[in-house]
Amino acid sequence: MLLPSILAAEAGGQGRFELEAGTVGEALRALPVENMLFDEHGELRRLVNVYVDGVDIRGGDGVESALAGGEELRVVQAVAGGRPSRHHT
Amino acid sequence: MSVTLLIGTRKGLFQLQSDDRRSWKLEGPTLEGWDVLHAIVDSRDGTLYTAANTYPYGGTVQRSADMGKTWERAEDIGLPEESGLKLEKTWHVRPGREPGEVWLGAAPGALLRSTDGGKTFASVASLTQHETRDRWEPGAGGMCCHSIQLDAEDPDRMYVAISAAGSFRSDDGAETWTPINKNVAADFMAEKYPEVGQCVHKLLAHPAKTERLWQQNHCGVYRSDDRGDNWERLDGNGLPSGFGFPIMLHPRDPDTAWVIPENADLNRVTAEVRLGVYRTKDAGESWELTANGLPDQAWTGVLREASSFDSADPVGLYFGTQGGSVWVSPNEGDEWIEAASNLPPILSVEAHWQE
Repeated sequence: MLLPSILAAEAGGQGRFELEAGTVGEALRALPVENMLFDEHGELRRLVNVYVDGVDIRGGDGVESALAGGEELRVVQAVAGGRPSRHHT
Repeated sequence: MSVTLLIGTRKGLFQLQSDDRRSWKLEGPTLEGWDVLHAIVDSRDGTLYTAANTYPYGGTVQRSADMGKTWERAEDIGLPEESGLKLEKTWHVRPGREPGEVWLGAAPGALLRSTDGGKTFASVASLTQHETRDRWEPGAGGMCCHSIQLDAEDPDRMYVAISAAGSFRSDDGAETWTPINKNVAADFMAEKYPEVGQCVHKLLAHPAKTERLWQQNHCGVYRSDDRGDNWERLDGNGLPSGFGFPIMLHPRDPDTAWVIPENADLNRVTAEVRLGVYRTKDAGESWELTANGLPDQAWTGVLREASSFDSADPVGLYFGTQGGSVWVSPNEGDEWIEAASNLPPILSVEAHWQE
């Protein structure tokens, strides 16, 4: 499991974790920054993206996505800003 | 005398330290990457609390027992599922009266209370479920509960202010809340003087004359002499504008206060193309510009949490701008000194003063 810098700082400076978990959600909840990833109602925050071997979990079963073992999970915070380009004729 | 200024910015927390309020030493930042909307030292035990936020990971309270060298994040903080609300941002921390008690103002329109020194926070249901809540609307900064004031004499009395819900008083230890918005304008609403819905920007209770409250509102500057039951509008008598965010009080002279007006809600820069602090010494009957040392040409702003004052004699005044400057007056506004510049946009300023 790889964490971005601000989460790594909150995890005591550790940005890489080796975890045993059956699902993505179990893996995330095992982290010391669980309450930054999930809101108070237990939902993964909207601007937190999680990739399993490069694939966004929201395209699959979300936090219920099963893990077989050996996967690389990466937490990536959404980047907001800018405007879509517009073509004028 | 020793003053530590806690400077919350969009890029973490800075500290400025001085023994004479004229020369300042800058330290920090800590909490890098966090928006620090407010920071305050609990004078009871020296714990430093911050209302700290990040846009992807939400808001929390970070606390430090060693003035920012190390931090601990609140373990359990949020709004109950049955409320249908989720914590959006943390705004304001106020150390309480009971041992371990810490109050937290938050968006959307929420007050939370900790009884364990900031480890966990629980929502105050009497406010989040207030009978007038369906008439509350978020201001431009969200529906923020930004002012929490504890009555200096009555242990059961406290005040909160929410944009744009208005001001509320509890006389029974936060069990019930009375809207206190009489004669306070809401020019942006169809009903100009509603029971609730006012966009109060900052509310302060006077520490010595406890029945006196001051507020800088979206629609004017106001004073109450009866704990908020009635308000008198105070602008138009020397102030260039009624719009602004911060307000500072003289802790011993209840008739003296300072505000920093801005042009208007749709043109949020300091009034009259300058950085000016306006002082009243007669409870708002008249205002005078205090600008000795301040730039006479400026287009900046000072946010609602970005001013503070100490209890020394003469009183020290402090504020920070969105342009990253910290200004200090060691003598009640007669003279201004730039204590720091080119910081990130400043969200909050709080003075921690020790004799």
